[in-house]
Amino acid sequence: MITSDSLPPSIGDRTRKFIKRHDVRMSFLYGSFFTLLFIFLGLSFYPKFMPKIMSEQMQNGKEVIVYFTVISAPIAGLVLGIALYTFLNRHKGDTPPPDGPAIRTNTPVILVWTVVSSLFCLVAIVWGLVEMNVASSEAAENEPNAIVVEVTGSQWVWNFNYPEYGFSTDKLNLPIDRPVVFRITSVDVNHSFWPVQLGVKVDANRYAVTTARTTPNVLGVIDIKCAELCGLYHAYMESEGEIMTAANFNSWVKAEGGHTA
Amino acid sequence: MTTFANKTQTAPKPGRSLITKLNMGTGLVVGIVSAEVMYWLSKSWFDINEAAEINKILTLSMFAWCIGFLVGIGAFIGPFRWLIGKDLTAEEHLYMAGEGQGISRYFKYCTDHKVVGIQYLVGVMTMLGVGGAMAMMIRTNLIQPGSRLVTPEIYNSLVGLHGITMIIALIVVSTGPFGNFILPIMIGARDMAFPRLNALSWWLLFTAIITLCSAWFFGGIPTGWTAYAPLSVQAGPGMNAFIVAIIIFAISSAIAGANITTTVVTMRAKGMNLTRIPIFVIGATISVAMAIPAFPTFMASQIMAAFDRTIGTGFYDANVGGSGWLYAHLFWIMGHPEVYVILIPGVAVLLEIAPVFVRKPLFSVNSAILGFAGIAGLSFLVWAHHMYISGWSPSLNGPFMVTTEMISIPTGLIFLVLLGTLWRGKPWLKLPMLGVYAFIWNFLIGGVTGIYLSDVPADDYLHGSMFVTAHFHYTLMGAALTGAIAGLAFWFPKMTGRMLHERAGYISFWMVQIGFNLIFLGMFAAGSQGQPRRVADYAQTFATSDLISTIGAYLTGTGMLVLLWAVIHSWRNGKIAPTNPWGSKTLEWTVPYPIPLENFHETPVVTSDGYGYGRSN
Ligand SMILES: [Cu+2]
Ligand SMILES: [Cu+2]
Repeated sequence: MITSDSLPPSIGDRTRKFIKRHDVRMSFLYGSFFTLLFIFLGLSFYPKFMPKIMSEQMQNGKEVIVYFTVISAPIAGLVLGIALYTFLNRHKGDTPPPDGPAIRTNTPVILVWTVVSSLFCLVAIVWGLVEMNVASSEAAENEPNAIVVEVTGSQWVWNFNYPEYGFSTDKLNLPIDRPVVFRITSVDVNHSFWPVQLGVKVDANRYAVTTARTTPNVLGVIDIKCAELCGLYHAYMESEGEIMTAANFNSWVKAEGGHTA
Repeated sequence: MTTFANKTQTAPKPGRSLITKLNMGTGLVVGIVSAEVMYWLSKSWFDINEAAEINKILTLSMFAWCIGFLVGIGAFIGPFRWLIGKDLTAEEHLYMAGEGQGISRYFKYCTDHKVVGIQYLVGVMTMLGVGGAMAMMIRTNLIQPGSRLVTPEIYNSLVGLHGITMIIALIVVSTGPFGNFILPIMIGARDMAFPRLNALSWWLLFTAIITLCSAWFFGGIPTGWTAYAPLSVQAGPGMNAFIVAIIIFAISSAIAGANITTTVVTMRAKGMNLTRIPIFVIGATISVAMAIPAFPTFMASQIMAAFDRTIGTGFYDANVGGSGWLYAHLFWIMGHPEVYVILIPGVAVLLEIAPVFVRKPLFSVNSAILGFAGIAGLSFLVWAHHMYISGWSPSLNGPFMVTTEMISIPTGLIFLVLLGTLWRGKPWLKLPMLGVYAFIWNFLIGGVTGIYLSDVPADDYLHGSMFVTAHFHYTLMGAALTGAIAGLAFWFPKMTGRMLHERAGYISFWMVQIGFNLIFLGMFAAGSQGQPRRVADYAQTFATSDLISTIGAYLTGTGMLVLLWAVIHSWRNGKIAPTNPWGSKTLEWTVPYPIPLENFHETPVVTSDGYGYGRSN
């Protein structure tokens, strides 16, 4: 005769028993704390460290970090929650602790873990590919309106040539909301052209021209740095620039001795 | 009869064989004399006033040093005997194994794997000390904007030589000491498969390190450890030291890799089938096996750089049909697998430690192996994520982003294995076990920031910034070095016969880990704010972040000194260790100290894996 006692416990029963366990509850509590902490750090702490965001690329770069942090927060929380619980639940004493349960494997857990981490990976990949595609299709456009700046790195200064206006200078001023195409090269070793607030970066190589495109969309000062070790004064290979209104830009061009159309 | 009994106790007497007269001292003498002779000879062949000719002279002299040292220490006596159709006598063999020679065998061309393990341990600790001191100088120079304590020239050399010293140290930090000393005992072998090659791999590494240090005398290296061309081609004579050191190191690691791999494949004790191999052995083998295809490309990249510098070949000169991108490819085809060559054995040490201190079996050994194998396989397909912003065709970035992000899946499995092992356990928080927890925290941060960087839009902003520096220190130092230090605490009783000083160990652990997190959380902030890496100076904006990093660096540095004290003190007069202080079930804990020459009096027979802890629930 089969009574309900001799049946294996139902999934519902087992789940209820599982979530009543002290270690499960505490791990969950610690895990939730870490999850919330990371979400907070991602959403409101991290962005404070970014410089002013002055282009779509820069916005994308920031969003990747903020949202990846938020998505990965529950996984990080789970890991740290379990770790912290066992850490606090430690064995004290000078002899090895008594043996724990001999759990050698657990197929459902491994499967769920693998599927979840694969999904996380998939989200990251799709996100990256989509954003990258937006960036490169924008780059593929001809942009008849674009302003071309020829950037030349040399040990240890940047030079900016504006062929359309016929002058070159060591300042990188640009008109707001107008696409810009950088054509970048070097006269000696590798440098890396980094207009920080615009969120783009491309190496400057000798005997080669590399390209970067962006559209500055906020007024303000930008810093230009070199992001590739290029010898003695690499740290001092800096320039400044400004994103300005079209009118201000035109008067700057005139002041620099360029001709406006 | 009494004389016979005495004879077995003292060192074997191989007559007046040359072998008995050679040691590190004769190696140094012959090495330096060879270098000098080559220097004077080549000075008469080449014009010392021309840059390319100086490169020829120095490169030849440095190779002469390496070969001369090996000749002087007796590395080629065996092969030479083979050449003339003889071999070493049995007594000479025994002599080379160092039996009964006390301390002096550590300064000889010794074939005992335990001696080689200790040589690696001391060598690695020296390198970490030197590299760490350079890190302290770097952080001191960056304590505030405009401090300029050292010239930019010295600063760049510090950055480059800190980098390459630490990279070489970390590549061998686990597989050198533990892979040579512990691994053969773990699998029940009497020695390594090729004992003489084992000695060769260590002494080659030794000559490479000395060569690398000589860079300081020739003006340092201006390139960072990545040694990008054309900067490396244009660089001064110090660069020759870097190039020669890398070429020698690549040979050393190929030999060590072949040796460890062969040992594990062919010399396991009876009954140790694939499912019973300890996880550290698997991790170490995967690591050294990865090094075998990876480092030759590094070597090739440096040989080409040497040709560009000495005879003007122009491999990396776009003006004559070469390309700087060729260098970047060759370098990173080595460079990315290399970070996992460093990481995997460190993690494997921790996976070996966790079951012992939680008293539970390692959770899902298969997932751990799959994780290591997946990481190892993928790591050869991701190199160009270092080149997203090189200016090459952007459409090439997509595939490399996909492969790079896929590494998060096997990496996740490693976390699962650790969590499953901890789950429902009551860990014994001895020093080795603390390393497991530090690893979980550090590698989580290192791993997640790695996912940011693998994403092209984020990398466009962060590439070449301090953010990258912080990320890879979290993986290499926070994970791999933490694993190696835990391994040292774990195996110290077996390697020295004494327990590591506990209190000093704990103090050091917390100082190092808290300091470490200060350094690199500060550096993440600086990078996010837009501070490029490898800069000798920086703007006021970054002052707070950099100050935090520097304070953290001093804390870490002091903690490391405490650890050094603990190691030296315990080695000389620490508490005598029992045979199996942690109650571990792997084979190395069955042998007594001092470990007999061929490890086991009776060959062990293995009937289960080493993780049979736990009550059946
Ligand atoms: Cu630079
Ligand atoms: Cu990489």
